[in-house]
Amino acid sequence: MGKIAVLTNDLQSDVVDKTPERTAAIAEARPRFLGFLAEMRRRGHGIYHLQLVNLPDDPNVEREPDGTLPLQRGSRGAAIIEDFLDPSDTVVEKNKDSGFYETELHDRLQNDGVDTVLVTGLQTQICVQTTAADAFFRGYNVWVPSDCVVSGNPEDRDRALEWLGGYCATVASSDEILAALDQHGELARKVVKILP
Amino acid sequence: MDRSKYDNSSEIVLDHGSGAQLSHELVSLIVETLGDVYLGEMEDSAMLPIEGGRIAMTTDSFVVDPPFFGNGDIGKIAVCGTVNDLAVVGSKPLYLTLGMILETGLPMERLVRVLTSIRETAREAGVRIVCGDTKVVRKGEADRIYLNTAGVGVFEREPLRMGRVRPGDRVILSGPIGNHTVHLLSIREGLGFEQRVLSDCAPLNGLLETVFGRVEEGMVRSVRDVTRGGLAAVLHEYADALGHTVRVDQETLPIQPETAMAMDMLGIDPIHTANEGCLCLFVAPAAEERVLAALRSHRYGNRAVTIGEVTGRADPLVLLRDRAGRESVLEELRGAELPRLC
Repeated sequence: MGKIAVLTNDLQSDVVDKTPERTAAIAEARPRFLGFLAEMRRRGHGIYHLQLVNLPDDPNVEREPDGTLPLQRGSRGAAIIEDFLDPSDTVVEKNKDSGFYETELHDRLQNDGVDTVLVTGLQTQICVQTTAADAFFRGYNVWVPSDCVVSGNPEDRDRALEWLGGYCATVASSDEILAALDQHGELARKVVKILP
Repeated sequence: MDRSKYDNSSEIVLDHGSGAQLSHELVSLIVETLGDVYLGEMEDSAMLPIEGGRIAMTTDSFVVDPPFFGNGDIGKIAVCGTVNDLAVVGSKPLYLTLGMILETGLPMERLVRVLTSIRETAREAGVRIVCGDTKVVRKGEADRIYLNTAGVGVFEREPLRMGRVRPGDRVILSGPIGNHTVHLLSIREGLGFEQRVLSDCAPLNGLLETVFGRVEEGMVRSVRDVTRGGLAAVLHEYADALGHTVRVDQETLPIQPETAMAMDMLGIDPIHTANEGCLCLFVAPAAEERVLAALRSHRYGNRAVTIGEVTGRADPLVLLRDRAGRESVLEELRGAELPRLC
């Protein structure tokens, strides 16, 4: 039986505070989200924070209206928000939506014996969705705690959760996930029929 | 410049386009890399033998972003795009021109990679590069590399035209749709699909020759390569030109599961997306099975399928029919907001 890891996406002030809707959404999710991370740490599961860093030469990066590049490496806005970060956690830099795209994440998870990932963070319909799909294609058992994913627009989150549950992940609340772990000691892999 | 004169740190500079010594060195590098697919004599025009009474000519520009992707690059697309345009009208592609706009700072290694793709794809398609042009622009005035290819083909059979399509003719796709678009969008944004879904970019003249060799002339009425605007644009073009309704059975559309998954995530309908190695053939009913068998015998057509037919209804619509037999009108998009896919 492989290990379980929690992946967080983009818990950085440049992302979280980009719009008032996102700030409010993360504030609403924060207590449960922090509690879930703390409980997973207590149970010995690894937390991997995917830190979005924009590269200056990436033509597809969205810049501020004045041309400023947000999420620059080493900047305050790109740092993982302190509340969510524990010294035992791992931070992995990414430069695109999926946390696996040209990053060391897959190698690190493999080295750590991880076969199940719980994908969290924001935004649900972009980075959570693509990271979960990428994890699925790489053979991971993918779960998404529905109360630990955030979108500025709740409809985007709900649509993304429906997509995730339909294609590649088991979607459940953080309480349900913890209960499943209590009961079975592991998280069952979803049977996915869409791929040959 | 022979290849021993540049190293990994070499890059394009403005003087490569000045017409002076550096330009000559760049041209030497291009000619050397293209090898035997380059036929030029370094005159101001290529002078070429042409047999037969009619030629096909076409031109296309290529600005694909990113110019280098998982299973190809802009060079491969630039050859395939023009070769396929020549082939689908029934001509045999023979000659291509090659125009390049290079941004200052483009690594020479990248240019060689593009030229190598052009050489290999031209070899596969059996075409020669007969002349070319290179311009260099300042940093920021282009995005790394843009290409233009014009092509000449000769007719060894009657040209294929939209006007030859008749009511009752079958509509056949040579392969899955949407893969090229998903592959490129996934690389642009890092969506996680780029290793599961590859571009379909391929020269399809060999595939068409296989088909033409298996059925009598006239049985394949008309062919289009399904590029920008996707299958929807092709079907609308024929419906409009013929004045007849084209009906497609939605369930038959060949779409790779991961592609469907990505399109669903992105909110895009695969029927509107660009491809670079997919043909839409309009075929006489009597030849349908033989055309399908011929397509499926070729590596670029092994997932060929009939998707619909041209109806006798004198109304220029495209209808999608679902599993339950319900029909809906496929609207043509005003714009797809998916730039630079070729």
